[in-house]
Amino acid sequence: MAWAARRIAVSLALVWIVASIVFLVIHIVPGDPAELLLSSGGFAPDPAAVAELRERLGLDRPLLAQYAAYLGALLRGDLGTSLVDDFPVAQEILLRLPRTLELIGAGALIAVAAGIPAGTWAALRRGGAFDQIASATAALLLAVPVFVVGTLLVLVFAQLLRWMPAGGYVALADDPWRHLILLSLPALAIGKGLVAVVFRMTRTAVLDALSRDYVRTARAKGLSPARVLLRHVVRNALIPVLTVLALHMGSLLGGTVLVEYVFNWPGLSTPLLRAVEARDYPMVVGIVVTISALFVLLNLAMDLIYAALDPRIRAA
Amino acid sequence: MLTSRRALFAAGAALPFLSRGAAAQRQPGVLRFGLSAFPPSLQPWANTGTAAATVKLLIHRGLLSWDKEGKLRGELAEEWRNEGPTAWVFRLRGDALFQNGDPVTAADVKWSLEQIAGERSTAYLRSEARSIERIETPDDRTVRIVTKEPVATLPSWMASYHMPIVSRRSTEAQPIGAGPFVIRGQERGTSIELAAFDRYYKPGLPKLRGIRIIAYADENLRVAALQAGDVDLIEYVPWQAMAGIEADQRLKLDAVDGPFMYLTFNAARGPLADARVRRAIALAIRREDIVRAAFFGRGSPLEGLPIAPGSEFFDAELSRGWRMDLTRARALLAEAGHPGGFATSILSTAQYGMHKDTAEIVQQSLAAIGIQAELRLPDWATRVNLGNRGQYDIGVMGSTTDSNDPDGMNNLLNSGLPPSYVRSVNLRVPALDAKLAEGRAEFAFDRRRAIYQDAQRVALEEAPIVGLAWRSQGYAMPREVTGFKNLPGALTFASGITLEETAIG
Repeated sequence: MAWAARRIAVSLALVWIVASIVFLVIHIVPGDPAELLLSSGGFAPDPAAVAELRERLGLDRPLLAQYAAYLGALLRGDLGTSLVDDFPVAQEILLRLPRTLELIGAGALIAVAAGIPAGTWAALRRGGAFDQIASATAALLLAVPVFVVGTLLVLVFAQLLRWMPAGGYVALADDPWRHLILLSLPALAIGKGLVAVVFRMTRTAVLDALSRDYVRTARAKGLSPARVLLRHVVRNALIPVLTVLALHMGSLLGGTVLVEYVFNWPGLSTPLLRAVEARDYPMVVGIVVTISALFVLLNLAMDLIYAALDPRIRAA
Repeated sequence: MLTSRRALFAAGAALPFLSRGAAAQRQPGVLRFGLSAFPPSLQPWANTGTAAATVKLLIHRGLLSWDKEGKLRGELAEEWRNEGPTAWVFRLRGDALFQNGDPVTAADVKWSLEQIAGERSTAYLRSEARSIERIETPDDRTVRIVTKEPVATLPSWMASYHMPIVSRRSTEAQPIGAGPFVIRGQERGTSIELAAFDRYYKPGLPKLRGIRIIAYADENLRVAALQAGDVDLIEYVPWQAMAGIEADQRLKLDAVDGPFMYLTFNAARGPLADARVRRAIALAIRREDIVRAAFFGRGSPLEGLPIAPGSEFFDAELSRGWRMDLTRARALLAEAGHPGGFATSILSTAQYGMHKDTAEIVQQSLAAIGIQAELRLPDWATRVNLGNRGQYDIGVMGSTTDSNDPDGMNNLLNSGLPPSYVRSVNLRVPALDAKLAEGRAEFAFDRRRAIYQDAQRVALEEAPIVGLAWRSQGYAMPREVTGFKNLPGALTFASGITLEETAIG
């Protein structure tokens, strides 16, 4: 119990450290939100208007006072409001985070649906034409940047063939069919790298499983090849594949920045990017802290589960 | 991998059905407008960018506006005239209503102008409004504005999208305008839904039933959305896409030279404090290269002050005052005591391609006369900050004048104004400031023209800023969209006013 409490305390400290670092860094880099907001389009604002806005936003107070106020609010669970339009940061995150997670989920689904069967088939026909072509394609998918794939998908499907909308978003509740259409291209773009990873991992794991004694035994027992493959080979091979998949889901969060931009998908990345550009301090810190807290929470959950399964971890 | 390709092909087979879904988005009479950014704020009087300006032009109206030829026309005011040098009288139309149903009265005009000039105001035209001595409202339909100094250009302030008239019953959170469209809903950062205001004061307008604004930050996606039929109008057409749109039979491009690029200087110390050095720089720039490299040929060299060729104040000879002449540039540098050039730096931003590309050409041009300039390319926010603090040597900027009247250059040229990233810093040119003030106070056109010719001569000598290139600003739409017009020159960002006359099909 003491171990779990210590682990939770460390996680909370981590979130506090991230919040402090992001808060300080974004305030230290040059750029003044009030000045920027009123300078849009290359026009010079009246300095009195800028000073007035700065005062209204509380930016004229010493940094330490702003930091103390921010931490106090954070402890109460208040992420503050946007400096640009006073919109609550928490509300923005609640609206946008599920869309980013949906995009990542759809990308992972595509990766699993395409990568596992392809990896299995390539392992079964090791060295064959399919294996070679698929392995080369996987290398290509890993090498081509996500924004290139995204732009190509828009060019081909929206501009040349005109089969798909170029991008955008419609809520699932408003129009489920169109929601899925709009989700498909960005999900493909974000899932492409993961497809390659899952393919490679599956191929290796299946090859490994095929050489195991229990597979030989299963075959010797006279089980049908399909049963051997599904019940004994793939099932065992999936364990490392799913571990790798889970590890890569986190890195997909970084990939969403470009994909959301290229496809105009209104997830969490766009407001983060816009907030950094506008030096919208509460929005930047709020979004980064939320993402970091999610990571920390996931790690904490995994640690606690591992510890429950294996008491040696608690002693370590 | 075959599986994934199969899946793709299967998806491909289903695609023709998917496009039906895309088509279902179209609603008759509703224009889908792809803006380059989501308006950060819709405060009626603050400058929060051109995307916000477009939306403000849908929901608000001012006393005056600009017509499609760039001439002043009445909006909430039907007549206006000056009474002596310091008074302007505006006669309001009797039938204009705010969107809450209240009539637009002189009291609302007075209230709006007072808010703009207020102590706690963040309005773009705050200092202009503060030059008003008093506002008289002899009756509900008459507004008499008395200024502290004579202001010949006061009507153009009243036509600015930064000076809409809102109801005096407005709150800060909910301004009530008198424009042709009403906001029905919005999703922050993504889209805004507007519906026609059924009691708009112009009979038969707006022609559209509604407008759906969708923000497309990526310029390539904005073009793709137009080509795919997802939107009916886009702004900020990227220069590289203009030729493709012109070649497309289904689409049309409406582009004008309005915004421009220019150089600012920090004249606090060193060679840049010498007007001869600044003039040498002006004469060394390969402007054609800027037009080619930064704007794909979509623009034209700016070899003088930013007075557009279509303006009645345009003077062909003065407009070529800084035409490239390397011999003269070198001679001026030698005369200023820098025959071998000197080392300096150029501040621009890597965030916008046109700023970066322009800075690179300027750097190469200066190298030809021996000036070795180091490029500093931070993000836009940092660039603005450094510019406002005067922490730079030479700055690359892009902007427009406030209007097509030469008084619209005041914000860029007046050295008596507070430091700003759009102007040079530590560079006083009292002779030019005096001419700008004289021009603003003069009502007779011929005399104004002569004053601004003098102002151009002073500027060509002193080079307080250096013009580089006009850049093309474009809107694109399918051919069936009618009535929308890109307003000339500096008014291009006010083109949203024509959406009241826009129709589809």
